Amino acid sequence: MEDKTIEENSYTADDIKVLKGLDAVKKRPAMYIGSTGIEGLHHLVYEVVDNSVDESLAGHCKTIEVIIHLDGSCTVKDDGRGIPTQIHPDEGRSAAEVVLTELHAGGKFESKAYRISGGLHGVGVSVVNALSEWLDVEIKQNGSVFQQHFDRGIPSGSLTVVGKTKGRGTKITFKPDTTIFEILDFSWDILTQRLRELAFLNRGLKITLSDERTGKTKEFHYNGGIVSFVEHLNKNKTPIHPKPIYVTGEKGDIILEIAIQYNDGYAETIYTFANNINTKEGGTHLIGLKSALTRTVNSYATSSGLLKNGHSLSGDDVREGLTAVISVKLMNPQFEGQTKMKLGNSEIKGIVESIVNEALGTYLEENPSVARKIVEKSLQAARAREAARKAKELTRRKGAFEDTGLPGKLADCSEKDPAMSELFIVEGDSAGGSAKQGRDRRIQAILPLRGKILNVEKARFDKMLGSEEIKILITALGTGIGPEDFDVSKIRYHRVVLMTDADVDGAHIRTLLLTFFYRQMPLVIEKGYLYIAQPPLFKVKKGKTEKYIQNETEMLNMLFELASEEVELTIKGQTVKGKTLVPHLKRLYRFEKLIEWFDRRRRDPKLLQFILLSGVNNDTLKDKGQFAKVQGLIKEHYQNIHIGEIQHDEEHQTYGVETRRNNYTLNINTQFLTSPEFRELENLFQIVKDLGEAPYTVMTKDGGKEIKTSKELLETILAAAKKGLNIQRYKGLGEMNPHQLWETTMDPDKRTLLQVTIQDSVESDSIFTVLMGDQVEPRKEFITTHALEARNIDI
Amino acid sequence: MRVTCPICKMKTTWEENPWKPFCSERCKLIDLGKWVLDEYRIAGTTSETEEEKTEID
Repeated sequence: MEDKTIEENSYTADDIKVLKGLDAVKKRPAMYIGSTGIEGLHHLVYEVVDNSVDESLAGHCKTIEVIIHLDGSCTVKDDGRGIPTQIHPDEGRSAAEVVLTELHAGGKFESKAYRISGGLHGVGVSVVNALSEWLDVEIKQNGSVFQQHFDRGIPSGSLTVVGKTKGRGTKITFKPDTTIFEILDFSWDILTQRLRELAFLNRGLKITLSDERTGKTKEFHYNGGIVSFVEHLNKNKTPIHPKPIYVTGEKGDIILEIAIQYNDGYAETIYTFANNINTKEGGTHLIGLKSALTRTVNSYATSSGLLKNGHSLSGDDVREGLTAVISVKLMNPQFEGQTKMKLGNSEIKGIVESIVNEALGTYLEENPSVARKIVEKSLQAARAREAARKAKELTRRKGAFEDTGLPGKLADCSEKDPAMSELFIVEGDSAGGSAKQGRDRRIQAILPLRGKILNVEKARFDKMLGSEEIKILITALGTGIGPEDFDVSKIRYHRVVLMTDADVDGAHIRTLLLTFFYRQMPLVIEKGYLYIAQPPLFKVKKGKTEKYIQNETEMLNMLFELASEEVELTIKGQTVKGKTLVPHLKRLYRFEKLIEWFDRRRRDPKLLQFILLSGVNNDTLKDKGQFAKVQGLIKEHYQNIHIGEIQHDEEHQTYGVETRRNNYTLNINTQFLTSPEFRELENLFQIVKDLGEAPYTVMTKDGGKEIKTSKELLETILAAAKKGLNIQRYKGLGEMNPHQLWETTMDPDKRTLLQVTIQDSVESDSIFTVLMGDQVEPRKEFITTHALEARNIDI
Repeated sequence: MRVTCPICKMKTTWEENPWKPFCSERCKLIDLGKWVLDEYRIAGTTSETEEEKTEID
């Protein structure tokens, strides 16, 4: 209050003018700083910082410090030349006071003191002063320290020398006006982002931010400039070439810098700046960069033969995965657009274009490996875009899935209530025919799909859901397709049942369908509408009774049950028959299957049994003497065996040998003897031991029989079980007549349906991915291991 | 639930993801395009597979 009285005394005509200008700012702050919200508040800091950055651009300032204070004020301090302190010739006041109190005052408007300025659209620090409750300025210049204080833009005295100094620079502290700003808390994150940006854009300039509210301090200092900026933006991504490409050039008063680096993602990230201002809406510099990039990459791709003549890459293709920063510095930037964040200077486009064309062209020629990666990335993008375009076309084509009626292949049901209706998707026309005849046409619809397609070139049948099949499927379901059009509530059946053959082809077609539903109609699965039919694998006939058997396990169980009624075995010296025999048979079966499994992997099955019989285990391998004994026994037993040198396993302190006999190998070492497969075999071997020494005796209804090996024993038992049985294996649904198909698979009262869960479909997707994979090896491996499993349970 | 986008392999969420199991509309469309362009096919074998040979007596 006291200050105000003093002020009133020294009121001059100049002050009136000043007040008028600053009043305009106070009345319409948004005109000057965008808003009185969070952005406007931070804009105040940028205004002051930008003045310091201008000093740095002019080569006079190396460090800028920004401090957020507890009371909501903010200090910006630099080591530049300091705002001029001498008396302004026309004004009769210090130049500093003029700069701080008059709109559009300052060194920047005459382009002499500063060649290039970033000052935000030139509104200047006077706006900050006008919108602050108070502002303190301290200038160190020519050995003196000057100070001046302002209240709401009005000086409380003139600029005064308060002391001596060896340093230099300007320090401004201001407190945003609480009556003007809706938000008064400076945000650490917002300031961090902008100050980091400024440090990137001004190579070598050191900017520190301290927050006294939290005690946090951060320094931004990048000698790499915008190259570091691009690296920072790609920090959590995988670049496809190690170093960003850096292009720089000057033309007249315009300085241009560009840094470019591609990553393996799809997003395009381009930051554009004009005089350090983030031109978020782009403008002529961005247009120039884009067109040069498209042109240069296309011309390299064509001349190097990577792109066929007549083809071209679009701008979007060339920019997929691109991270770039472009920074131009020019004398008179023109800003356009809604938020004045778009560079308008028309001459910039051509300048950027010609500099980039030349520099990037040379770079690509000189760095062919990088160039190739960029072109390949763009080609990939072009292919993806083509796929997306086709998909859009399919979904956009009006009427494609509406009002065209249902596909002719669909045999619909008469029921119209989706909750009551079922759709069976059947592979192949013959199975489709059986299903159509066998179904309950009131509630069951049948859609036969073709899932196999002749690959003439390779002379084989590939499995595929062609575009026609997909269209038919979508039409039958009634849901539409695509991110915008798919609507699960329009589905015409609440039970969609996949019914495919029980062979490998059938499994593949089911995988294709499951994957399609999972990827393009996940809600159908989520709602629980998707099912898998469970047709039987076998039909067993005994006399006049017929029985359908669902799968191998069920089949085996049945055979063991039958066997237990037919045979008697001597186990541990006791006769075992009936139900108590079943678990023994199961173990014997598993043992023989495991031996077969080892046999298929060319692991000597005879030697394995010998090892089991001799009780060799990992402990045996620990004692060299005992191990040598075993080795001797083996040699004695198998004359034609080749045994390698004894090897010492340092890690496990055991001994081991490699053996070779006929076409078999067997490594008797810790790794093998502790493998889960061998351990299981070891456990199961108990049953063989319990059977006593060969020959074994089995009692069947035809009398006793002597058998030499456990394998033959199992075969004899199974043969006894199968006696009088007629077992038919269904490989295809087409092998069943309509009545059988209805009875076993479709009849709602008797069938089993497997409801597909999200988890099932995720698994199916990963199988699909392996089957589709470009990598041949895992694919092969997958197919063989699964084939082995299939054989494993074969009977 | 976290799932892997089938196209770009980025980790994404299942819940409240309009493009699930994809990360974006773009990836979902690319996938649909591949179905439509017949790019998804599982190669058949030229000879009979093992399974086809094994028969039950």
